Amino acid sequence: MTLIKKHIPLAICFIVGLLTLSSYYVPTQSSEKYVETMNKWENIVAGFAFLLGLFSLFFSHTRKITRRVDGWGYSLFVFVGFLAMVVPAIVSNGKQMIGADLTGLGWGYRFLFNALSGTMFSVLAFYIVSTAYRAFRIKSAQAGVLFAAALVLMLAKVPLGQMIWEGLFGWTGAWDIAQIGQWLMDVPAVAGKRGIMMGLAIGGIVTALKIIFGIERQYMGKD
Amino acid sequence: MLNIRIIPVVFAVLFAASAVSAATPASPKNVPVKPDLSGFEAKDMPYDKGEAVLLSWPAGPADVPGAVWQVYAASGKDWVKADEFPADKKLAADIELPFWAWDRHAKLHVVQLDMPGLFNDFKIGTEYRFKVKYVNGKETAESPELPAAPKPNLFNLARLNNLLLLIVTTIVFFWTVSHAKRKGGLFIRRIAGLDAIDEAVGRATEMGRPIFYSTGIGSMSAVPTIASTSILSEVAKKVAAHDTQLKVPHFDPIVMTVSKEIVKQAYAESNRSDSYRDDINFFVSQDQFSFAASVDGMIHREKPAACFFIGHFMAESLLLAEVGATTGAIQIAGTEQESQLPFFFTSCDYTLIGEELYAAGAYLSKEPMLQSTLKVQDFGKAFVMLSIVAGSALLLAGTWFKMDTLVTVVKHLFKAY
Repeated sequence: MTLIKKHIPLAICFIVGLLTLSSYYVPTQSSEKYVETMNKWENIVAGFAFLLGLFSLFFSHTRKITRRVDGWGYSLFVFVGFLAMVVPAIVSNGKQMIGADLTGLGWGYRFLFNALSGTMFSVLAFYIVSTAYRAFRIKSAQAGVLFAAALVLMLAKVPLGQMIWEGLFGWTGAWDIAQIGQWLMDVPAVAGKRGIMMGLAIGGIVTALKIIFGIERQYMGKD
Repeated sequence: MLNIRIIPVVFAVLFAASAVSAATPASPKNVPVKPDLSGFEAKDMPYDKGEAVLLSWPAGPADVPGAVWQVYAASGKDWVKADEFPADKKLAADIELPFWAWDRHAKLHVVQLDMPGLFNDFKIGTEYRFKVKYVNGKETAESPELPAAPKPNLFNLARLNNLLLLIVTTIVFFWTVSHAKRKGGLFIRRIAGLDAIDEAVGRATEMGRPIFYSTGIGSMSAVPTIASTSILSEVAKKVAAHDTQLKVPHFDPIVMTVSKEIVKQAYAESNRSDSYRDDINFFVSQDQFSFAASVDGMIHREKPAACFFIGHFMAESLLLAEVGATTGAIQIAGTEQESQLPFFFTSCDYTLIGEELYAAGAYLSKEPMLQSTLKVQDFGKAFVMLSIVAGSALLLAGTWFKMDTLVTVVKHLFKAY
């Protein structure tokens, strides 16, 4: 059992990891084909796994409906939504357009799915306002720096802000708010971002080595 | 009187000088120079997968403004014009290869031909013929025809710097692991976001509310998702020990399948296999905003005591974290997407920054072998810091003292090819 649950998966992980790593240094067509094959396999596995996901979705929502848990009515919409997309997809043979006309699937996709996705995305704008409000309540020195930087950036990027700045400090002729805003974006923001990126890159390499050499095994459970 | 006598002499001298001048041969500038094509070479492009050919020939005084080079290739009888460019362009210095793989100072014209773009029936290993033609007005010159067959290379020498860095990292990695096996007892600085997990689980237990854990929208092959599943394992152990409710909505069915195994194992390790339910992990949707809408709805209705958002997140980061914040849940987040970190900073109580995400599994598990690898991360950071300081100093010195070679060497050493 240990052989199947532990040793064979670790050996597969080690061999595939090393082959994928070496394909970066070996520019032959066989190494390129190997990477392509791996990507295809990933897609095939993902296709099968999607069925598992679908069963999980139906199972969890059926349970909610049968047990009448709080908000079980929402679970009905999962099945309604599923049927509303799958039935027209079967009828229209998976096509969204026939000639210049929308099929039932195309109509559902364009006027239901896209509209709902767009609505969720637009909600982001409101959340940004509420999160900005929370961030700008100055409770510490760091929050003060954040507020100052955000204020300068807003003045620099919004035409009204530039007009206010010009009205207040334009007579000095020494400070251009657009340049200050750009400097904030180009220097301190990029420096911080790159520091985080370097840490992430190193962490990513070490995690990859841990997985390839079988030191990190939590992702496959212990026996 | 003297002046009157001198005037004829001056005229005579000037006349003689003009005659001499007229007799002088024309300057070399006015004579068209024939290019030297004896050094023309056609060979396989080094360090590629076998789809390019490299042509080279000496650059020289014939490369004057107005002159052009034409490059021809043939697989059968017919010649195909592969390239045409001004005579002073496409030199050895223009090839994007590092100094250890390519002589940038050679006074050569170099043309890299992409063969599949030229011949639809291109096959690796097939021999093709090449020639170049010099055209400067009516003056032309043609090189001899040379054969060359593109072939794949076994090693991309341009990536030698990358390989050496990898080898050094791997050596340090094994050294620290073996060191941990022998000695152990590594000091690890506290990570507030991870220490708060106990607090979050305790709070959920006291309030009798669930804990939500999201691994994000990354696939199982993404390193942040793997790091997230390691943290999920430790969170699940604590949840099982406290007999609290855990909910793990998923974007990717493969991640869901792996997470099921991990959570099941965590419950078993906490001797609470009886409390494990198969619906702890459940699939929601593979569409980004459908996933966010569904999880937002659940968080809003169930009002969890704690939310974990650890893994790969994009625009849904704020949608999830902001809804969690409005419900009053204690929130711990971490992602490798630096563009999403500001949203987590402002909406969550604790955020794992940068490499803390990858260190979390080792930090929580307290296994010496895993913890030792944190030292590799520290060595890596020290190396990067030293490289930045040394590289900047060398570049400054090279620029200041006009040492072009030094600047080129430093730039090439730190470049990814």
